[in-house]
Amino acid sequence: MHAAPHYDFAHATAALIAIAALLSGLALLAVKQVHEQVRVYAVLSVFAAAYTLLVGVDRADAGLIVLAVWTAVIKVIVIPVSIDRVVTRQVSEHEVPLVVQVPMSLLIGVALAGLAYWSAAALPIHGALLPAPALGMPISLVLIGLFFMITRQNVISQIVGLLTLENGVFLATVAIASGLPFAIGFLLLLDLLPAVLFYGVFARLIAARAKGTSIEDMTVLRG
Amino acid sequence: MAVWLLIALGLSLAAAGVSLAVGDRRLSGWVSAAAAVGAFAAVLVAVFAYHASRGRHALDGVFYVDGLSGVFMVAVAFVYAVVAVYSVGYLRPHIGHIRLRRVYWPLLNLFGLALLVTPMVANLGVLWVAVELTTVVSALLVTSEGSDESLEAGWKYIVIGSAGLAIGLLGIVLIYASGVPSLGDHYTPTYSTLAHAAPHLTRSLVRAGFAFALVGFGTKVGLVPMHAWLPDAHSEGPSPISAMLSGALLAAGLYAVLRIGAIAQRAVGASYVHVLLLVFGAMSLVLAAFFALRQSNYKRLLAYSSIEHMGIVSLGVGIGGPIAAYGAFFHVLVHAAGKALAFFGAGDLLSRYETREVDGVRGVIRLAPFTGVMVLLGALAITGVPPFGIFRSELLIVTGGFSRSSFALAGLLIVFANVAFVGVYQTFHRMVVSAGGPPGDRSERVQRRQQPLMAAAMLASLAVVLVLGLWIPGPLNQLLHSAAAVIGGRS
Repeated sequence: MHAAPHYDFAHATAALIAIAALLSGLALLAVKQVHEQVRVYAVLSVFAAAYTLLVGVDRADAGLIVLAVWTAVIKVIVIPVSIDRVVTRQVSEHEVPLVVQVPMSLLIGVALAGLAYWSAAALPIHGALLPAPALGMPISLVLIGLFFMITRQNVISQIVGLLTLENGVFLATVAIASGLPFAIGFLLLLDLLPAVLFYGVFARLIAARAKGTSIEDMTVLRG
Repeated sequence: MAVWLLIALGLSLAAAGVSLAVGDRRLSGWVSAAAAVGAFAAVLVAVFAYHASRGRHALDGVFYVDGLSGVFMVAVAFVYAVVAVYSVGYLRPHIGHIRLRRVYWPLLNLFGLALLVTPMVANLGVLWVAVELTTVVSALLVTSEGSDESLEAGWKYIVIGSAGLAIGLLGIVLIYASGVPSLGDHYTPTYSTLAHAAPHLTRSLVRAGFAFALVGFGTKVGLVPMHAWLPDAHSEGPSPISAMLSGALLAAGLYAVLRIGAIAQRAVGASYVHVLLLVFGAMSLVLAAFFALRQSNYKRLLAYSSIEHMGIVSLGVGIGGPIAAYGAFFHVLVHAAGKALAFFGAGDLLSRYETREVDGVRGVIRLAPFTGVMVLLGALAITGVPPFGIFRSELLIVTGGFSRSSFALAGLLIVFANVAFVGVYQTFHRMVVSAGGPPGDRSERVQRRQQPLMAAAMLASLAVVLVLGLWIPGPLNQLLHSAAAVIGGRS
């Protein structure tokens, strides 16, 4: 008798987190300022950590709970603060040039989410606590991250797009393969740190050369 | 066997540490070259002396070596060794233009380490981490000449490569999820665990997982249409790094695709895996052959040749059957040696003429005869002219195609390998044999004495691609057969 309400609460919370994560992904498409893009990513990461924590508590899996805390530390605090401090303050321009304007970006984002839910429905899989189709939200974030990277001509925005894409993959892992060995989960997160530091180094070099982080001028190599 | 694998990894790690401590001194180069050659020797012992072709676990299941991983380990270790030797010469004053000299050797050794780990590990998760490490390290190496163009190339590479790898990870997650119903929530995704459970994996998830893995890791391989980073990174990176990217990094990415493909093949049947490989392989072959016809930058031309060759390997595995698959894995080895030779020659040209433009290079055979001969032989080797090994591997793939009545695919390979031949050979022939030369103030640089270590690396690569065209040693033959049996060779 006691298990059922807990079960319902966990499912309802997971559904809310999934909706909030998807809306955060779409919100990214509406933001033009570099600093705000980094903050939206941090908010999205809060939901990723919250979902991991929820699944960990529901399954009484200490490994997942530790992973959730670790995710919160790395993705909500360390990475956004690093990007903000190391790179963004050196940037002269703060508004990112867009290949596709905000209204059209949002429409395309919604269409990509629809495509993700439609294709995920074909896979016979139940995600941890998530409403079916379990992979709809994670694949939506992967596609939105890719779209964001392609249409934002700024190195910081491209990093944010890549990290959003990575968050989608992370959420898919927790949703459908939460038993994927704990050590691998940590390896993946650890792997993210040098990668982000590396992106930071790159972004600084580009900023130093081009007096900004726009990649509009990076068109020498073609054909 | 584990001891030899650990020695190979330990040598490259130690060389990275020593070169980081010593800094930009000659000692860094010598230590790195000795370590890389030692790592190659250790890999040869591990693969051949222990009959790795039979498939063996080592170090409590951390490593797994079979025919498939053995072929890629040998290819990667060979390229790492010759690149390290070549680099000692290339980094001498007034030869190669490398600005980030202090980090070149540590990064090269870490790159070698990550590339060696990739085909050794027994676990899909660790495989992904190893491939991701190759991206982080090699992107910095691509920028080590310090030009604006190399920065642009490095940025494209890291962004596109990382996005691809994230998608590849999604593929691994789906493959893992496919095993949950039969293996339980918590299991370690080793190759052998998944291979044994293959008949019980959820088929639709395996199909989706392999498709994501092919697109994701295929980005590292440079398969069309995920190839956009490759021509830039290969052409703008220092030439020894271009050789490493082409001969070893693309192979490491392909290994990941094929390792996951081998599991998928057991679960959903060979035809699904083969058809996807054929589609991407054919697109890569055709597009790269056409692009090879219109290049004015000779390093970029070699980059498109790499895409073409990865297409040929995918086509060979996709055709399936023991002959074509054997040819495909043989192609991995000979392409590694042939492309190392070609990029070494290109590096020598670049250091003499100081231009990547085809029109800026004339009269090489007259002004720098050794370089001219090496460049021409490299062009002949990578375009599959007999008696070089690439001719033999392509002939095997075509024969395999005919033996399985895949006449259209065999025909496609014959036609577009010849289109690429025209593009590549014509260009290099024009640069080497035509009359003319650089302006007077640069002719002294063009005619400088041949650097012996660069020559040694070129000769070693030439020897491998030539000898393997004429003779395949027994143990290598056995290794290639067992690689073909892992994926592509049974049906």
